[in-house]
Amino acid sequence: MLAVLGLFAVAGCGGTQPGGESAGVLRVLAWGTEGSRLDDMAARFTRENPGVDVRITSVTSSAAHDKLLVGIAGGEVPDVAVVGASYMAALAHTHALETVPADFDQGQFLPAAVDAVRVNGTAYGVPWFLDTRVLVYRTDIAEKAGINAAPSTWAELKEAARAMQSKGGAKYGISLPTDSWHIFLPFLYQAGADITDGQRVNLNTPEVAAASAYYKSFVDEGLTPGVVREGFEIAPAFVRGTHPMFVSGAWQMRLIREVGGPSMDGRWAVAPLPRGRAEASTFGGGIWTVPKGSKHRKTAWEFVKWMSQPAQQAELYTAVGALPANRAAWALPALADDPHARVFRTQLRTAKRPPALPEWPAIAAAVEVRLDALVRTHGDGREMAEQLDAAANAVGAR
Amino acid sequence: MTTRARAPWWVFAALAFGMLLSIGPFVWMLLGAFKTNADLIRVTPTLLPERWTLDNFSRLFSEGQVGRYVLNSTAITVVVTLANLLFCSMAGYALGKLRFLGDRVLTGVVLATLMVPGSVTLIPLFVLMSTLGLVNSYAAVTVPFFAGAFGVFLMRQSMQSVPDDIVNAARIDGAGEWTIFSRIVMPQLKPALAALAVFEFLSTWNNFLWPLVVLNDQERFTLPVAVAMFAIGEYTTDYGLLMAGSVVLIAPVIVLFVALQRYFVPAIALPAHFRTLRNRN
Repeated sequence: MLAVLGLFAVAGCGGTQPGGESAGVLRVLAWGTEGSRLDDMAARFTRENPGVDVRITSVTSSAAHDKLLVGIAGGEVPDVAVVGASYMAALAHTHALETVPADFDQGQFLPAAVDAVRVNGTAYGVPWFLDTRVLVYRTDIAEKAGINAAPSTWAELKEAARAMQSKGGAKYGISLPTDSWHIFLPFLYQAGADITDGQRVNLNTPEVAAASAYYKSFVDEGLTPGVVREGFEIAPAFVRGTHPMFVSGAWQMRLIREVGGPSMDGRWAVAPLPRGRAEASTFGGGIWTVPKGSKHRKTAWEFVKWMSQPAQQAELYTAVGALPANRAAWALPALADDPHARVFRTQLRTAKRPPALPEWPAIAAAVEVRLDALVRTHGDGREMAEQLDAAANAVGAR
Repeated sequence: MTTRARAPWWVFAALAFGMLLSIGPFVWMLLGAFKTNADLIRVTPTLLPERWTLDNFSRLFSEGQVGRYVLNSTAITVVVTLANLLFCSMAGYALGKLRFLGDRVLTGVVLATLMVPGSVTLIPLFVLMSTLGLVNSYAAVTVPFFAGAFGVFLMRQSMQSVPDDIVNAARIDGAGEWTIFSRIVMPQLKPALAALAVFEFLSTWNNFLWPLVVLNDQERFTLPVAVAMFAIGEYTTDYGLLMAGSVVLIAPVIVLFVALQRYFVPAIALPAHFRTLRNRN
């Protein structure tokens, strides 16, 4: 790109449309399946609030993050942006986000959700949808293997995986990806690990060692595939019965129903993640934020308030399986009558957010890479913990 | 007519193998576009679809409104390519055929900008667009690319293949610079122009990050951004839609290659810098 020549070209080639737009245009940057459903809702908001023209830009989450960062750096931001829970701390530390108005009622949301929008005690956003990991398993294969209840402890989970593989006829016992911190992190929390002191990540602890050893033992015993090929999708493998258990979130329910069709009805279930020393899972989701420099702050917060209402939240659950942040939405029929929703609600009580460190996304990426290598070595849990800690803190080193 | 010695069989074998390797992914993509999603992610993949389906394409054109994005991409790419053909040639002529104070320094500056990776200029360019009020406009995805450094350098090098004597002779005969440029020099540079057209078309057509960052209105998106938006979900990828989108995406490029290869193959075969300096974005 030749910026200098570009400048000449601009000077010589005026007459393009001006960047200013009418006061009523509200630009919203969103992502994911949730974002792709926003157009209909935005149209309804416009009907209820005439004069506000909501324009949704919905791309993939990493693309949205790039777009928001460049926008912040370039001084041209959307009026409202959905931010992923794991990016929240990083963005808040750049002072690029407005703080939530004091009169915004955060009490209407689940406590874990409210916790996720706070960085150093200040709320920089409003929770939109939530996401937590649960255990998904094939009840028919479990029964064949002589298991009649969902595994509720680490020992039972291992036992169930062994039985499903040896007696249930499944190729593997469980699917635990070796390169995903999303799936690994709950095990750390279940081991009782407190992986951050708020300043840096500490993975060199006996708890992390215990969780690492436990996680690796599934690979060592051949209960989970040691290598997951690119593009692998769990839902078809689960429906086929080769991978009878896995750890995943609410969006996966719809995918299993889509892939499996009616013949899968009654042959699978979800349960809270098995307990180690503690019951725990991870917590994520989408957070509404208003970037500094938003041209319509008042309208922006009104839009966020409207999107937070129980009716809109339940609608999103029905459409794409996004768990509502608003407590009242859980009482609506769409969720109250759904057995899966009850399990997710239970799991949300013990779900913990990822560490609120600005470097967390980079640390998580480094830990994933190292974890993938470590599970195939002969090291014990303590060595794994040391190495993971080294990888994590190489990122944080300043 | 010259008779060429026939190459030994193993040269053909090696070339055929190389061709198979480079064509393989395209064949996979093309056939994949006609498979169902379940078929695509089968654990033992098959080359031919189990059941041929046009479902991916119909979804692409109904849900995706792909026509709109094809139109956007085509308009943007054609404008940028034509502008490059004109401006790069003019700049190349000035740098290659005219002597003036600082001409070498200026060539050096053009070369230097070629060394700066696109990711470094992304944010400054965005700030520039923002200051000019051009964010979310078609101007932002066209105007900054009207005269790429690669193109300027390419045309400058090509100019040197035109003998100075011809230029000087024309000058003695009373031709002005514009006449020399348009009547004498340019007609001799068709291979270079064809090559430049293909490269500009390709890089503009394929550009992903810049249109993604600078455009906000979905109806202004270019085809690569739109295909990624529709096919790649948060947790899953719709491979069928992705394959169908990619087929639509590369079809015009292949057509252009076939149409212009007569012109640009000689140009590529000659100066090696065509390929080494391609990395514009």
